[in-house]
Amino acid sequence: MIDQEAASGEQIRDGLEPDVYPVAEGRWQRLKHTDAWRSMFRHPQLDTPRGRALQGFSNVFLHVYPVKVPRRVLRLRYSWRLGFIATVLFWILVVTGVYLMFFYTPSVTAAYGDMQQLRTGIGFGQLIRNVHRWSAHLMVLVVVLHLVRVFFAGAYKKPREFNWVIGIGLLAVTLGFSFTGYLLPWDQLSYWAVTVGTNLVNYVPIFGGILTDLLIGGPQIGQPTLQRFYALHVAVLPLLLALFLMVHIWRVRKDGFAVRRGAAGAFAEGANELVGSESAADATDATDATDEPAIPAATALALANGDRVRLLGVVDRESVTAEERLTDDTVFAWPHLIVRHVVVALGTIATVLALGVAFAAPLRDIANPNLTPEPAKAPWYFVGLQELLSHFDPLIAGIFVPAGVLLTLAFLPYFDKNPHTESKYRKVAISVFATILVIAVVLTVIGALFRGPGWKFVPPWQHSYLEM
Amino acid sequence: MGITRRYVLRTGWKIGGGMLALLAGWTSWELLRPLTASGATGKIKLGSPANFTAGTATFVNQGRLWVANADGHLFALSQKCPHLGCRVPFCESSGQFECPCHGSVFNIAGEWITGPSPRGMDQHPLTVENDELVVDTSKKINGADHGSNKFPTDSKGPACAGKG
Repeated sequence: MIDQEAASGEQIRDGLEPDVYPVAEGRWQRLKHTDAWRSMFRHPQLDTPRGRALQGFSNVFLHVYPVKVPRRVLRLRYSWRLGFIATVLFWILVVTGVYLMFFYTPSVTAAYGDMQQLRTGIGFGQLIRNVHRWSAHLMVLVVVLHLVRVFFAGAYKKPREFNWVIGIGLLAVTLGFSFTGYLLPWDQLSYWAVTVGTNLVNYVPIFGGILTDLLIGGPQIGQPTLQRFYALHVAVLPLLLALFLMVHIWRVRKDGFAVRRGAAGAFAEGANELVGSESAADATDATDATDEPAIPAATALALANGDRVRLLGVVDRESVTAEERLTDDTVFAWPHLIVRHVVVALGTIATVLALGVAFAAPLRDIANPNLTPEPAKAPWYFVGLQELLSHFDPLIAGIFVPAGVLLTLAFLPYFDKNPHTESKYRKVAISVFATILVIAVVLTVIGALFRGPGWKFVPPWQHSYLEM
Repeated sequence: MGITRRYVLRTGWKIGGGMLALLAGWTSWELLRPLTASGATGKIKLGSPANFTAGTATFVNQGRLWVANADGHLFALSQKCPHLGCRVPFCESSGQFECPCHGSVFNIAGEWITGPSPRGMDQHPLTVENDELVVDTSKKINGADHGSNKFPTDSKGPACAGKG
């Protein structure tokens, strides 16, 4: 009797036919057994490996994740979840941004009034604006930290070069988002920060004038600029970011999610077994696409000897863009990783809410094109550049240095041929990167905290001119 | 090896795609380029030249410019700093133009004294028509290069920038 029950239970848990389901109890269970429900959710929540895999495959949201991930991915310090936090912040910005759009008019005569109205006349208006502002600041910070972590982990190396490039693109779009949003309140802070920023573009050789004209749409910042920045902020950049993000996340999986990379790269000799349902398909496709010999020498020898080999054993190692891990060292993404992500998402939301409650987004006097405030500072992530500009020619400090750093970063994986990922084998790369990072941080701190009227040196303990 | 049908089709697609991209670029440019009529352009009458006494700088809001008298020489100086576009105020106490953004300082003739500005303040041509001073804001003359100053660079008193 006990055996029968066990067998019946197993059949029910593994089976997918509605007929073998136990009698539904309660309205909720009955609803989940209707044809309408089953048309939306193909596979029931079955607590078996097959059930979880099918759930993952047939759900567009769950399918963002691989069905199984290496156990070490669950550790917080593996990635600090920075990419995921940045994505959560993006969605917070989308939601709060849509709320703000209901109350905002992109007009130089109305924008500032709308901001005041949001502060005083609309329930939770100020909170939504604060959360939007803090999420934007945090997103820039988190994306930069994500980049730094990926660099130090050496995770930009083959086969992830292109995803690193996409990541740099995402950083640029994030900065664009923040910069275009900065103008929208139409106060003195936004007007002059954007004036300084857009005048930088003027120094771009040959195309500087055209680019500036396109950006501000007139001889100086005014209605056309506000309208353009608004369109970029709420339509063009979100679409661009969504596109880049889609490719970025897709490549994270396809390029090898959480590959443990050895001293000689991910596909070193003696690599571990390859598992994963997608791996086989990817690897087979990759074999078709390559002109290089698909069978490594060791495998060819094994085949010649008549030994059994796994399917992926006959695939060229370099073309395998699959997950590489020990077979017994994986866990299901759902619920193990996804539950952790939910916790991180809730933590991120709590953080920006707390910041929004504690610190109000600034709103200075209405923009006055005739009066530059002292000091006129760029947004904090550009203030290091502004500091650099006070020492060097704008062509060097405003164009060559930032463009050089950005382009060098973007194409780094293509000229950094060192296959090692451990820091002890990458002393030069890490030293150069760390030096640039320290310089950028020092310039930002000086510009943000130690500069006062006339860009004179004023220590923050005397007077703080920090603008957020 | 003659020209194959496949070659013609492939080349046709490439040329077609290129032309479409060009058309898209042209259309976008025509849509987005700024209209020349916007902003302060054209000639502005400033009244008698005698209104502008030596050692003073008068702001003309209509053209967003300063009319400065340096030892009897009149200049129409753009209010926009050549460095990064901040508006440059005139400091009465020092008798100089002092940019609040990055600390560039110019003498009353708009010539560069110090700071990161790549040149002196930009100018607009001034003429006298029927005893009346006229400035043409549609034309801009780039400010003088560093080291080509013709007027004194000494401050006549304490600076305004940096006082908060």
